[in-house]
Amino acid sequence: MAFTIVCPVCGIRRSYEFRFGGEDKGPRPEEDTLTPATWCEYVHLNNCVAGIQKEWWFHRDGCGSWFTIYRDTTINQQVENSIDETNP
Amino acid sequence: MRLKSNSYTNGRLWGWNPPLKSSYDAVIIGGGLHGLATAYFLARQQKMSNVAVIEKRYIGFGGSGRNTAIVRANQRTQENIPLYKEALDMWPVLTRELDFNLMFYNCGNLNLAHSEAALKAMRLQVASAQFQGVQSHLLDPKGCKKLIPALDISDRPRYPIYGGMYHPPGGIVRHDAVVWGLAKGAAKLGIHIHQGTEVTGIGVRNKKIVSVQTDKGKIYTPRVLNAAGGYSAALSYEMLGIKLPISVLTIQAMVTQPLKPLLHHVVSSGAYHCYANQTLKGEIATGSHMDPWPNYTNQSTARYIKHQAEAMTELLPCLRGVKFMRIWGGLADMTPDMAPVIDGNNIITGYYMDCGWGYFGFKSCLVTGKYMAKFMADGICPGILKPFALRRFEQHRLMGETAAVVNYSPDN
Ligand SMILES: Cc1cc2nc3c(=O)[nH]c(=O)nc-3n(C[C@H](O)[C@H](O)[C@H](O)COP(=O)(O)OP(=O)(O)OC[C@H]3O[C@@H](n4cnc5c(N)ncnc54)[C@H](O)[C@@H]3O)c2cc1C
Ligand SMILES: [Zn+2]
Repeated sequence: MAFTIVCPVCGIRRSYEFRFGGEDKGPRPEEDTLTPATWCEYVHLNNCVAGIQKEWWFHRDGCGSWFTIYRDTTINQQVENSIDETNP
Repeated sequence: MRLKSNSYTNGRLWGWNPPLKSSYDAVIIGGGLHGLATAYFLARQQKMSNVAVIEKRYIGFGGSGRNTAIVRANQRTQENIPLYKEALDMWPVLTRELDFNLMFYNCGNLNLAHSEAALKAMRLQVASAQFQGVQSHLLDPKGCKKLIPALDISDRPRYPIYGGMYHPPGGIVRHDAVVWGLAKGAAKLGIHIHQGTEVTGIGVRNKKIVSVQTDKGKIYTPRVLNAAGGYSAALSYEMLGIKLPISVLTIQAMVTQPLKPLLHHVVSSGAYHCYANQTLKGEIATGSHMDPWPNYTNQSTARYIKHQAEAMTELLPCLRGVKFMRIWGGLADMTPDMAPVIDGNNIITGYYMDCGWGYFGFKSCLVTGKYMAKFMADGICPGILKPFALRRFEQHRLMGETAAVVNYSPDN
């Protein structure tokens, strides 16, 4: 289902201009303490939230920015942040 | 939208409604084909019939009732081919065993190549299949046209046809019949199928499965199978904290108005992202690429109707002007290497998983159910399922079922 995404540079645009960039998993793990398990988690493993999740998008057919938004995966709509990030 | 799990339980559901017992020897989450097949083989081959299948909505609600019913065995890798070969051989056997017409139509699958590179990849795939005793061979454009005279093999299409890979033993099976046949067969052997019942939690003590919580009550059990299809990864993370290498995406499919017979084989094209067959009713049933972003909507989009019309009329120009009659969507649990996650009895004793089937969960359901039942009865993973362990992602031993990692590439 198509929807709109607010790009921090270009404003509200159709979702087909963007490329999905994966669930937000925090910063890339440090190389010196990296284990196969932490790398696998960062690269492959997902929470697959049926509901609101924080995720990366790339404005492919636009300004080229990478940014995060919150989206409800059950209705495909960008939503205001309602996740309490101080208590994940 | 989330419907209440009991909204289908007003006497309209298939079959007998057994009472929910307070304990079972095994509980299967999900009344899709993988859950039902495992239940059937647990009773039939492992003599374990004190088993419950818990289904939130109704049997076949998930991908099992929404797929395009294509079956074939010409996968790419040496680990995958034997599984799919045995799966293909099981349709006629199960049709007799279940005494239920599964409508297996072994019309053969033709996969088209639209570049030299695609033909080269097919050469490898054909050789791998032949090495494992699976019939598959290459065809030039004329050979493709001989099979499907309506194909346009001229230079007119944007991506002209360079050749194809033909796999005679594959084809189509009636997916609803498989759901009903397995459910009927399993119930007859004593399996309890609880529809309109949702699993809401899994009880673990000392890293061992002890119970399953449902909205209709608690069930004590030492074994649980996660066969929740598109919902399996969320369930695994929410209930057990186990993350899986899965992305959940909607796949759409549609059918045209009925036409006189013109397509006698399954035809597919990677370049055009479509696969199609003509049903016994005469409709052209065609499936498309998955949505470009994860979602649980099950919804269809104008974009894919347009895409599918464009792709199909490029391959089969005689379809111009033909109308689509119905469109629907279903969830697919995609893994990065397009091979499933089949594992169990290690992270948590008694916890088994059979998920991540993506596009391929229909053709594989019988064989996986058979070996999954053995796995759950013995607690030891049968050799044929071993390559699909979750550990492969940590070990960077992804399978080559896809030429490129199915990620959301910039041109997706
Ligand atoms: C449009 C489309 C076309 C496809 N085409 C093909 C094809 O041609 N060939 C092929 O091989 N494959 C195809 N597939 C893939 C195939 O349909 C799936 O891989 C397969 O059906 C998965 O079966 P399953 O039993 O694992 O899951 P499902 O059939 O999805 O069943 C899972 C069940 O679990 C239930 N459930 C979920 N959560 C809970 C809970 N908490 N409690 C209780 N129950 C729960 C759901 O209601 C659902 O009924 C296609 C899929 C789609 C969507
Ligand atoms: Zn932008």
